[in-house]
Amino acid sequence: MSPASLDEALVAAAQAGSSEAFSRLVERHQQALRAFLRRACGNWAQADDLAQETFLAAWSRIERLKAGASVRAWLCGIGYNKHLSAVRSGARDRAREASYEADHEVARGADTADRMALEAAMSDLPAEQRACVALCLAADFSHAEASEALSLPLGTVKSHVTRGRARLLQALGGPDGQ
Amino acid sequence: MGNDDRLKALFAYDEPPARDPAFSTAVMEELVRRRFLTDVAVLSGVSALGGTALWALWPSLQPVVVAVAQGLAPAIVAGALALGAAVVFSGRRPAALLGFET
Repeated sequence: MSPASLDEALVAAAQAGSSEAFSRLVERHQQALRAFLRRACGNWAQADDLAQETFLAAWSRIERLKAGASVRAWLCGIGYNKHLSAVRSGARDRAREASYEADHEVARGADTADRMALEAAMSDLPAEQRACVALCLAADFSHAEASEALSLPLGTVKSHVTRGRARLLQALGGPDGQ
Repeated sequence: MGNDDRLKALFAYDEPPARDPAFSTAVMEELVRRRFLTDVAVLSGVSALGGTALWALWPSLQPVVVAVAQGLAPAIVAGALALGAAVVFSGRRPAALLGFET
């Protein structure tokens, strides 16, 4: 069974009330969702909290997911909206301050000036552009899939990805690859 | 290494593990906890509503209840037990039985 048809079967079972099927969906998509939220909000602890909230929201509205729709894009869309709400409420900044040091210990262990420069450059990008970069450059979403997930026009996504990529590469001190 | 590969390699540090039983378990535990709270809220609401209705109607119900209690008491007890058993053995949650969720 292909990943897409397995997702479809699990969604159908979850829509019929199976929490076991939903649990499998959580296992299958937690990595993509958490990675996206980590890159979108720059705070691992907050990203994981948002990912949990996203899955709980997804369970309560699973019946709205159309057959054949991308589960990954749907989840990232819910997660992105939750992230924007958190930014608006100001919770993000407080949580970021609290866990900044802990997060950076991990980064220091793994690298490098490049890693820190990328993180700083990502945090300077506008939220929409950052989300587009996180999906298309880091997570291999197609532009169309990112457009669906973020509810943005396709042209806007393409433009955000191009500009975001150039800014990241500039921050890393290399050519922008244009 | 091309620019895109370089970015991808740097982004890879943010990648959580492909399987994370602790995270998945935490999500499902929270889901069960919220469903339990929903059940408690639904049952509390229904109980409060039923109690209030009974309290309001009791003056007019009491004579009727007294009149029929002698004859119908065994049947009512049996009916209540059968209903309780049906709820328990159906395996469905109270909120679903009452139509509050699927």
